[in-house]
Amino acid sequence: MTTIDLTPTPDQLPATIEPRKPCGCPDYERGMSRRSFLKRAGLSGLVAGIASQTMFTRLAFASAPYSGDVLIVLSLRGGFDGLNAIVPAADPDYATWRPNVGIPSGILLQLDGMFGMHPAMAPLKGLYDAGQLAVVQAVGMAEPNRSHFQAMEEMERAAPGTSLRTGWLDRVLGLREEGTAFQGVQMGSSMAASAFRGSSSELAMWSVDSFGLDAAWDADELARWSGALRELHQGAPPAIGQPARSALAALTTTAQLQQVGYAPENGAAYPDSDLGRAMRDVARLIKSDVGLQVAAVDYGDWDMHAGMGGVGGGWLHDHLTELSGALAAFATDLGPRLSDVTLVTLTEFGRRVEENGSGGTDHGHGQAVLLLGGGVRGAQVHGQGPGLSPGALVDGDLAATTEYRTILAEILEKRCGAGSVGSIFPGIGSQRLGVVNAR
Amino acid sequence: MGTAVAGAGLGSLVWDADLAEAAAPLATKDQDLHLLRRATYGPSKASLAELKRMGRNAWLERQLRPDSIDDRACDELIASRFPRLGWSMDKAWAELDFGWDLMFDLGVSTVARAAWSERQLFETMVDFWSNHLNVSNPSDNGWYCRHDYDRTVIRRHAMGKFSDMLLASAEHPAMMLYLNNAESSKEDPNENYGRELLELHSVGVDAGYGEDGMWSSTLIMTGFGIDWDTGHFRYWPDAHHTGPVKVLGFRARNGSARKGRDLGRAYVRYLARHPATARRIARKLCLRFVSDAPPPGLVNDLAATYRRNDTAIVPVLRQLFGSSAFKDAVGAKIRRPFQDLTATLRILGMGPDASGTEGLQGLYWMIEGFGDLPLAWSQPDGYPDYADAWRSAGGTLNRWNMHMSLAAHWWPSSLKLPPLENMLPRPLPKTHGPLIDALSRRLLFRTMSEAHRDAVLGFLGVGAHTPLSADSEAVTWRLSSVVALILDSPYHQVR
Repeated sequence: MTTIDLTPTPDQLPATIEPRKPCGCPDYERGMSRRSFLKRAGLSGLVAGIASQTMFTRLAFASAPYSGDVLIVLSLRGGFDGLNAIVPAADPDYATWRPNVGIPSGILLQLDGMFGMHPAMAPLKGLYDAGQLAVVQAVGMAEPNRSHFQAMEEMERAAPGTSLRTGWLDRVLGLREEGTAFQGVQMGSSMAASAFRGSSSELAMWSVDSFGLDAAWDADELARWSGALRELHQGAPPAIGQPARSALAALTTTAQLQQVGYAPENGAAYPDSDLGRAMRDVARLIKSDVGLQVAAVDYGDWDMHAGMGGVGGGWLHDHLTELSGALAAFATDLGPRLSDVTLVTLTEFGRRVEENGSGGTDHGHGQAVLLLGGGVRGAQVHGQGPGLSPGALVDGDLAATTEYRTILAEILEKRCGAGSVGSIFPGIGSQRLGVVNAR
Repeated sequence: MGTAVAGAGLGSLVWDADLAEAAAPLATKDQDLHLLRRATYGPSKASLAELKRMGRNAWLERQLRPDSIDDRACDELIASRFPRLGWSMDKAWAELDFGWDLMFDLGVSTVARAAWSERQLFETMVDFWSNHLNVSNPSDNGWYCRHDYDRTVIRRHAMGKFSDMLLASAEHPAMMLYLNNAESSKEDPNENYGRELLELHSVGVDAGYGEDGMWSSTLIMTGFGIDWDTGHFRYWPDAHHTGPVKVLGFRARNGSARKGRDLGRAYVRYLARHPATARRIARKLCLRFVSDAPPPGLVNDLAATYRRNDTAIVPVLRQLFGSSAFKDAVGAKIRRPFQDLTATLRILGMGPDASGTEGLQGLYWMIEGFGDLPLAWSQPDGYPDYADAWRSAGGTLNRWNMHMSLAAHWWPSSLKLPPLENMLPRPLPKTHGPLIDALSRRLLFRTMSEAHRDAVLGFLGVGAHTPLSADSEAVTWRLSSVVALILDSPYHQVR
């Protein structure tokens, strides 16, 4: 294992640390949070003492051993209703199963002879037509599981039939040379998803702007704390010293990013929402070249058992609007960098084919997966359609014709430089759909 | 790099045990402190004084008999702030309508008990067994029964016999629901519980039972379920598979569905007493209390004691804490985030809110955000208990912010915090160096190395010989920062 020391050299720190009275900052003693302070102070001069362009250079250099796509896993938690998002409008059974919550074919955005997109996904239609977005239909786990909790755990463990307890993203990172503190990032949460479970290091953060030392209210204070913490961890055993050094490196980087600020490019307009902010920060990390290899983002509240809403408004409509807006803004913002990015959506299960009596749908099986990126074989719906006739359903659910791990495996093989994926996905077969092009 | 420890009997994980071993120089050899770091949620000024007054043996014996310890203050705190925890399952079933309130009460109260119970070793063992027989709290099906599981399975038997605890878990609705045995039947067996009963709860995945044994295990336990009208455990003869079964050395003709419950009970007791279970529990106890690389000799000794005493746990703990391997393992464990939180609360002498639960809930959400909320691990195997699993840059930053938040009394601000000024040596030393030494002794029970002390002095912009006065920053508005910084040091990370 190679450890790359990212701590700034002494010349990047102020030569002397001047004691400083908190006169100008009475809130300090009243327990003001750093975040509220930053809002008021407008971030000005935050890291004047530390920031230097060399830091970026070093980070870029340190991340050199990995040269594949940044892989982004967007988890649509709660059970994403693919049948009402990517609608199999030409299947005669669709309207029969869903007389009330189904999406009328006339208003769909036509994708091919079978499928049309929910109109709320209009921001993604251009990406689809341009070949940067694809759909995989009828995807699922080998063993259907209708429990949110168990299905999520099993999906992120991604090792059915084994007693492995690690997550698949952890195993992905574990096969690579150790990168920067930003090699694996969970964005928009203080807790990493279970896909990261295991000994590879990842960084969970609510946002780039909130990742900081609460006690350091300005650049001088951050330098003061960072310097002391660095010295305090000199000679510490790896279990303590290594994450401390990573945290200090990450703090230095986030402070610099906070100082520089971020403006999306190419006219990208992210939704003003948790998802929008998380995707914006992922784009920010990609473009800052901080060594990001794998990012995970959650977008929850898809468990629409009741009150799914109508085609022009309501729960599903609003969720699809936000999802599509965030993804479209992300792609726009990245511009040419989208060619080094593959994003995949996953959900723990699709939903029951037949609507329920409450204007919603219950837990089901087969799901729709969205793929976004420069290497995606876009403008098509991949996978074999099992159909919606009563005989084709499995316990009332859309059958899964593609195991979800084969999609991930193909991305890792063709886009992320993985050799054998057998240790990441034990027991995976050789089936690949051809959803991405080789890098 | 380092010593890779394959988890024989602990699943398929492999971790680097040297990561923690290398921490040993951070702890002093003081055996009193060593015992407090391991057997409690962190030494406090009071607990160290008590241990020194009683002597290690007498202190340990008292902790091994939790009922002999006057813990009224904590009991009353829990009873008054969380009255619903006293509810029966029936009352919860009738009142809660799938609400998660009682599960939150359980989680918050578990945090409070860890910090403030006098029965510290007991609370530590409650945590150990809650992980060993994990039923994630909160989780979907626990809403009416998880608190009862805590009370009648874990706490009732935490210092008793493991065979009793394992059997109680097998006949509790929380476990039957959590691992889907409530849905398992002869027509449609669900192997989740039958498998984990072997792999996690008893003999371990490498005990040699094979898939056939796992399947027999599942069939033996068919019929163990719940009464869907009341939520209570119930044995359903009609759901029980009959026919020959064989798991390891356990064989039965299993000809009668009516006697299926007796068969299941005998099977569970057989598993609890199995030598592989003895070794596995001995190993896990060593992992918790001794080292990330459990010493094989001690594991064997403890396993033998476990079997000799028919799965009674107290003799095993007595032997563990009295062993030379334990004495030699000073500084060989690193605190997990929750252990850091409780150690910080205890060394600062913090107390619960004067009334209400706002501050306690603040602690709950704080540790939830750190990913180490007690009882909440989402998989059946319980939290990992070795340092390698907890290496995290974000987690380290969380700890630093937590130390400052508590020391500066930012949040949760309704908790009681004695004035930090009480920690200052009186009269004040004349210079800064001795001040940092005194604060280090108060917070870490030792002085730091010169280089590390210089780091704190550098933070203050002073040297060891810089004169100190009553209005110096170090003893006024920067005191909370200095306290937090000392707790940020690796010395405080060592358990």
